[in-house]
Amino acid sequence: MGTARRLILILIVLIALASSTAYYATQMSLRDGSIRERVMGWLAVGLTSSVCALVLVVIWRSLGKTVQIVRQQLTSLEGSGEVGLIMVESHDELGQMVQDFNRYLTRIKSRVDQLKLQKRELDIQIRVADAEKRHTEAIIFSISDAVLVTDSFDELILANESAERTFDFAMTGMYRQPIAKAIGDPEFVKLIADTRSQNTDRRRRVVEYVRVVDTERRTFNVTLSGVMDARGDCNGVVAVLHDITREKEVAAMKTDFVSNVSHELRTPLSSIKAYVEMLVDGEAEDENTRREFYNIIQNETDRLGRLIDNILNISRIESGVVKIHKEPLALTSVIKETLEVVRPQAVAKDIRLVDDVTTVFYQVLADHDMLYQAMLNLLSNAIKYTPNGGAVTVRTIVDEGRKTARVEIKDTGVGITPEDLPRVFEKFFRVESSKRMAKGTGLGLSLVKHIIETVHGGEVGVFSKFGQGSTFYFQMKLAD
Amino acid sequence: MGMSKKVLVVDDETHILQVVSLKLRNAGFEVVTATDGEEALDVMATDRPDLLITDLQMPVMNGVELCCRMRDNPALRDVPAMMLTARGYSLEPEDMSRTGLRAVLSKPFSPRELLATVQEILGPATDAVSADAEVL
Repeated sequence: MGTARRLILILIVLIALASSTAYYATQMSLRDGSIRERVMGWLAVGLTSSVCALVLVVIWRSLGKTVQIVRQQLTSLEGSGEVGLIMVESHDELGQMVQDFNRYLTRIKSRVDQLKLQKRELDIQIRVADAEKRHTEAIIFSISDAVLVTDSFDELILANESAERTFDFAMTGMYRQPIAKAIGDPEFVKLIADTRSQNTDRRRRVVEYVRVVDTERRTFNVTLSGVMDARGDCNGVVAVLHDITREKEVAAMKTDFVSNVSHELRTPLSSIKAYVEMLVDGEAEDENTRREFYNIIQNETDRLGRLIDNILNISRIESGVVKIHKEPLALTSVIKETLEVVRPQAVAKDIRLVDDVTTVFYQVLADHDMLYQAMLNLLSNAIKYTPNGGAVTVRTIVDEGRKTARVEIKDTGVGITPEDLPRVFEKFFRVESSKRMAKGTGLGLSLVKHIIETVHGGEVGVFSKFGQGSTFYFQMKLAD
Repeated sequence: MGMSKKVLVVDDETHILQVVSLKLRNAGFEVVTATDGEEALDVMATDRPDLLITDLQMPVMNGVELCCRMRDNPALRDVPAMMLTARGYSLEPEDMSRTGLRAVLSKPFSPRELLATVQEILGPATDAVSADAEVL
């Protein structure tokens, strides 16, 4: 039965009771009756009122209890953050209202569950996309070329580590900041802006760009391309900076080498051509002069031949076609041989040749001609780059425990700057200041390195103090 | 016969000095030699030549620097100069103008051509005073 209907019924009963009590009270005359009658009358009134009050309290409490149950469940559901149903035992209107409410909740719950499922799918998609983004970034970051990406407002979207290093900035806090804030060079900022505003033909632009990175002047090939959207508008710019400093250096060194070699070849050839022509023209009047000319022609022809041999040797050793005859050789005797060859050069420059070579018989497994060539190159370099009156010392250090022999050639020459030192064994490389001091092809030390390291598995090295002198050394295994 | 014209030849290769000297002497020129730029300047300081023939690539001071130093000296500014070079290319235009070179010969060169160039610049080996007198 409905609560409201119950309440109306109770009210009717109560009204009936009250009216009967009132009637009884009027009939009995509460005022005029005997004491007994009056007591009875008041008792009836009191009883009726009490019963009414009791019934009211019971109904009120039963209603309050259901509401409390509903409220409790709502609070706990709110706390759990879930959408759940409310359980009540009563079948009255409140119970029905709760049922209706539950039906509505069930619909909401299924919708929420559906949304939850969609959310989980989206979460996975985001994670996958995120992983893909990080993967792409990792690829871009692993590129040794500097990569910069800007948006349609010339704001920085991406810069890899190499870009940070090249332009000396940190990407942290630079995301979507104007590129001019990260890159101080207006020339480069203009390149980006121009590419974005002028890139209508979808073509890549490659420009050469020079920048000082860590105090070193570096040349870059910058590839600039516009990022196009579906409508063909330029949404941003990708700039890739490829460092071509080394390639340029190698190209310059090769040009230098070719011009050096051609100079070296032309010098003896000039003598040969001139003297032959003099003989043909009969400019040499007497037999002695003619004989002198023949000798010069012969010597210069030999010089030309040796020069060509040297150039060929290095390329043959490099390509591995040269024949190598390794045999046990007395190290000391090879060194003494070369010392005697260079002695006239040393005497001519008043340079002291100090022989600090072991007299003990140590053998190395080596190709005689090559070892001789390496030793000769090191010695003649030492004499070439030592000013008159200096000293060149040859020293051997033998480690019998490790079975190695080390040969040191120390000079009191011009020395090599720390910047040039790591490069002296490079093919074609010549120290700028030494170009003025003596002629050379830039091949001598490169040949030494090839002979000792490639052919004999040894080691060459140098230490030097600029202005004070250099010590070149090579180390080889002793023969068993 | 008048005085022979004097040619200063500068090269670090003694064979070249020797052959150029002989060719020019045989043609009647007076020849002095030096083996680098500095030595050449020393020679010119006391002995002004009528022509300078210098190599390009030499130790101590190269040919271009030698010519420039010579131009800086008012006493030597008018001395014509020619260059021998073993470089595969001729001189840069700015080097040509700042050195005021009259001719550049590339090595290997022909002594015959060298003599012809010298004669083109200097004329006959001896001063033409007596020769002109004879004509007159």
